[in-house]
Amino acid sequence: MSERNESRVALITGGGKGVGAGVARVLTRAGIRCCLGCNTNAAMAEDTLRAIEAAGGEAFLYQADVSDPLQVNAMVNAVIERWGRLDILVNNAAMQPNRYIDEYDAESLRKLWNINLGGYWRMAKAAAPYLRQSPCGRIVNMCSVHGNRPTCFDAGYSMTKGAIRMLTRELALELTRDGITVNAITLGGCKIEFKTGRPKWAMQTPLDVINPALNGVSRLVDPVDVGETILFLVSEQAAAITGDCIRIDKGLVLV
Amino acid sequence: MERKIIITDLRTQEARDALSHFRARGWEALVVPEDVRLWEEAALSAFAAAHRDGLKAVIHPAPPLSLCGFEDVTESMFERAADEGPLAAWCVMKVFGGIFRELNEGAVIFLNSIHAEKPVGRGFLFSAGCGAVQMLQREANQDYGPDGVRTYFVQRGVSADDPDGRSDVSAFYCGTDLRYPERHLPQRGSLNGLLEFLTTPAAAPLMGSDLRADGGMTMYYGHRRRVEGRDYVERKK
Repeated sequence: MSERNESRVALITGGGKGVGAGVARVLTRAGIRCCLGCNTNAAMAEDTLRAIEAAGGEAFLYQADVSDPLQVNAMVNAVIERWGRLDILVNNAAMQPNRYIDEYDAESLRKLWNINLGGYWRMAKAAAPYLRQSPCGRIVNMCSVHGNRPTCFDAGYSMTKGAIRMLTRELALELTRDGITVNAITLGGCKIEFKTGRPKWAMQTPLDVINPALNGVSRLVDPVDVGETILFLVSEQAAAITGDCIRIDKGLVLV
Repeated sequence: MERKIIITDLRTQEARDALSHFRARGWEALVVPEDVRLWEEAALSAFAAAHRDGLKAVIHPAPPLSLCGFEDVTESMFERAADEGPLAAWCVMKVFGGIFRELNEGAVIFLNSIHAEKPVGRGFLFSAGCGAVQMLQREANQDYGPDGVRTYFVQRGVSADDPDGRSDVSAFYCGTDLRYPERHLPQRGSLNGLLEFLTTPAAAPLMGSDLRADGGMTMYYGHRRRVEGRDYVERKK
């Protein structure tokens, strides 16, 4: 790259645990300084931060609720105050209530929409002025295979992921002339500390069912693998990729 | 018993055309009154309960297309778009899907837009809503389908008399007539036949599907074999 990773700065929402933590570990290992946005589970976020620092990475935690525009702006400002720049935004913070259509009410669906889609939009809006100043501005939105394929157990979640698919394409169009690429990761079946996105009837079954026909290979994606793909997407080599949804699911949707 | 259909929102031309069509074809075609907000479950449920006898289908059109760059969208715009887009669609599905589930028959048709797949260009509020409703329909197909409820998602293109989108970052709405293989925009009411077919049980094999009814518009990738295309190639020489 023409610009060293060590000078670049990323903000990862939901960066304290799960997929976001895996992405943060990979980016910091590559020398990118990261702000780990977190809202709940501060203890897990502290563990992630310690692991990053032990590996020689540079990061800090910032607690913010992405459904609150004031907190979103404060988080972006904290990054600018600390490092003076922002090059990469990874939108990852989301929730999954596991409800059928008739189990939602307007309040719960509005809350989900406000976090899962609204959070991504607010972060992009707050970050865009700084990403424009970057020689290599990048946005990566964490999406899901359920932005295309129904969950069959959580209509609200897949609605928000379908929306994020279109948000990604719209942002890609709007930001192309600023040299900022916007892509989505269509993630399916990830190996994380605890997984809320499962139907109630499956909560008691093992998450990682090994299919003997696949020679015992786990069907779950490691968050670090997601991070490696994102590391490529945020590089200069990926400048021509924008508005895309890259599926990372170990072939889950092909089964 | 008379065949009854409900159209939830008449703000778009294709919804008004559909209403005229179904009435002309002898249907009792009703419209949800404007004072019943589609995302308010109690009000919509009361209206639906009053009209459930003979009800065969519901058509839920997408709200009118609106353009606004993502950095200009305000919190209040975001909230309103959520209500009118995904929340209204969810509430329509829950209320009428529940009725059709009890009747063990009925169709919910989401008369939506190609912008569930194709970005508008400065229109994320609209297209994100379309993408969400697209996924709602797929979920509903799995959830309500086993109980005799048929759901469909129609992606309409741009039709004659439509208020065009105006985008400075996308050429999608420029020269729209050139994008149709038939070289002209679809005429008003061109989706009515499809909508009426979807109200019938004969359309059951299509349930759960996205029906792209855009006249080939989104397949456009330049008219290299047309005069404009040849001129372009010659200029490049």
